[in-house]
Amino acid sequence: MEQVQRLRTALAEGDEDTSTDLARALVEQGADLPAVIAELALEMEDVGRRFERMDIFLPEVLFSADAMKAAMAVFGPELAKGAARERKGTVVVGTARGDMHQIGKDLVALFLGIAGYEVVDMGADVDPLEFIHRAEETKAEIIGISSLMTTTMPGATEVIDILKDKGLRDRVKIIVGGAPTSQEWADKIGADGWAEDSSGAVDVVKELTATESGRA
Amino acid sequence: MAYRMWEIMERSATGPFMEEAEFLNKRIPRKMRDVVKKYGITYDPAHPVPADDGLADAVWQAAREFFVEVGVYNQDTHRVMYFSEDEVDEALYTAPSSYRVGEGRDARVFGWRAVEDPRPPFCIFSPDITYDEVDHLSACLAYMKEPLLDAICSPLLEEFMGRPIQSRTPWEIGGSMEHAMNLRHAARLAGMPGVFMIAVGTAETDVAQIAVSDAAWGVRPSDGRLVGSITEMMTNNAMLNKGAHYQMYGSLSGNLAGTIYGAYSGGAEGTAVMQTAYHLKGLLVHSANFEQNFPFHLKYGSNSGREMLWVVSMFSQAVARNTHLVMDSNGFMNAGPGTDMLFYETAAHALTSTVSGANLWESAPARNKHHNHGTPLEARLGCEVGHAAARQGMTRAQADEIVNALLSKYEERIPDAPVGQPFQELYDVRKAVPKPEYLDRYKRVKEELHGMGVEFPY
Ligand code: B12
Repeated sequence: MEQVQRLRTALAEGDEDTSTDLARALVEQGADLPAVIAELALEMEDVGRRFERMDIFLPEVLFSADAMKAAMAVFGPELAKGAARERKGTVVVGTARGDMHQIGKDLVALFLGIAGYEVVDMGADVDPLEFIHRAEETKAEIIGISSLMTTTMPGATEVIDILKDKGLRDRVKIIVGGAPTSQEWADKIGADGWAEDSSGAVDVVKELTATESGRA
Repeated sequence: MAYRMWEIMERSATGPFMEEAEFLNKRIPRKMRDVVKKYGITYDPAHPVPADDGLADAVWQAAREFFVEVGVYNQDTHRVMYFSEDEVDEALYTAPSSYRVGEGRDARVFGWRAVEDPRPPFCIFSPDITYDEVDHLSACLAYMKEPLLDAICSPLLEEFMGRPIQSRTPWEIGGSMEHAMNLRHAARLAGMPGVFMIAVGTAETDVAQIAVSDAAWGVRPSDGRLVGSITEMMTNNAMLNKGAHYQMYGSLSGNLAGTIYGAYSGGAEGTAVMQTAYHLKGLLVHSANFEQNFPFHLKYGSNSGREMLWVVSMFSQAVARNTHLVMDSNGFMNAGPGTDMLFYETAAHALTSTVSGANLWESAPARNKHHNHGTPLEARLGCEVGHAAARQGMTRAQADEIVNALLSKYEERIPDAPVGQPFQELYDVRKAVPKPEYLDRYKRVKEELHGMGVEFPY
């Protein structure tokens, strides 16, 4: 599987063109695509770990993610021909109303995407009701709200309150985060999860979607 | 001075359309990678305060090229605002090199400084953290009492009349007004009614900023204001509203920009180039009169680590050598108040900034996120170090040595820095003065710094 190894290297180097070429070659050879994709996911996890240690920086992560997307764009139609692709879940993310701080939310969105989730990024300064509407439209399992200021933490509470008032609280899980927030606060407002950073956010989402499918 | 304010504002409605993700995820990192390579900028961990004029000028060239080619993105209109080389030259030429700020006897000159300038830095005292509402006035007063204070920004509020301030509600307006009133009141009580305030940080929205503009009780035209830069090289209509209001009201406006080390600009090199480029964004987009610089580390939220001090030194030298713009360098520390580590960090940041040509804005402790965790004493030490370094004519090479020695005292503890103690434990809140034990700790560290070669004037 030398080619898979080369494809992993192309991801690590963020080389989109090589990634596309190698992906095409693998399809032509009739490679076991789910196995290849599993290998690529390992590489992306590694990229995430290197970023966490700050051995690499966000641009390298973004370039690697683009190379991964390029390979998936080739594999996608092939996979669609066979069995349906495993759907990991959809997460709607955004920053609370009034909050322009967005880098933390961007990182959470990026790493959820890398981990294989569908991410609907609503950007900064999102109205509480809009979070809910978008989650309904996209049938998202989870809404992630980022609050960087004590003054925008109530914006997250509002989403939960409106869900309750609309009788939809059990339809969607809420995760919250941002520098001034804490697990205690998340518990207090009745959120389903909280995380300190983007890798923690991925863990929480994994946990919540696992219990979700366990119940189903 | 407002540089072609309305002509430029128009570009946010008429510039070319672009998706935000394209601008932020592709254009910024790619162009940054290119200019860092083209101008041969490399970070050397051995020298957090480099004495290399060629390197500083390369950072400036890279920043200028980056700014002209990338432009500034408006998130609301999804359009890119571009600026020509001629406009950059004109704006740089016409920008004043100093301003008289504040009023009457308390007025001061806030101006450009050269690299290794013997003139002391302009000292802005501000923790930029939130305090309990009941202690807010005392916190303001404690800062106001600082002998080296030329200007003050804020202790912030997070409650108004006992209720949490929520952005875009009447409580934000109320809290912002209370903040302004407390600052003015504290200034009078301290006997400095005309002191220059850069106010008020509790006002997050454009609406709240406009609400505090009142010469009788609030922010005067002789005071300063801030308009934030959205990461990276972006703006939105609310920020443009703030900029427009400040210009027309007459306040001095500062562009608040903090490039994130490890994020879209990459490592130390890209972070230094981006922070330098922000001076052009502030000048051209917001008609900013000064630049408020706080690059910070993605993971730690601080700028006192080795790579961050290099960034601070490089953008300061690049701007000081190639322009006459007025700017300051804002310290963000890892440790909290009441620890030696915070004093060492603040000293290192102030020393690096001062010899590199910046004015001082000291300082945000405990990763800028722990309620009540900021005191005037760490800022005092930082500003005393700044005054000392300038007056004794310290060179970058000398500062580099001292900064290396300071780093060896704290850099290993950055990942799990102590949070320290709140203002209320370290200060006598009723008198707004430091408790004796705390003052002793400060004096001991000051002695130590003296032993390392910092010649304090007193
Ligand atoms: C950078 C910054 C800015 C930049 C923002 C750029 C941008 N577009 O993102 C600018 C200059 C624009 C800015 C503006 C302002 N800011 Co500001 N800013 C910061 C600063 C220094 C760092 C934030 C940051 O980007 N951190 C880096 C990222 C990577 O970390 P993070 O956001 O915490 O995200 C991580 C985790 O928290 C977690 N996470 C985040 N979101 C989520 C969501 C979920 C679901 C999960 C699970 C996890 C998770 O994962 C992320 C990745 O690891 C903070 C201080 C701080 N310590 O946070 C102040 C801070 C947030 N700002 C503050 C203030 C006051 C302001 C202003 C009001 C200043 C002013 N007067 O103009 C304006 C507000 C404008 C507005 N309406 O929003 C205050 C808020 C105080 C308060 N009331 O709580 C802070 C705390 C500083 C302070 N102590 O004074 N700011």
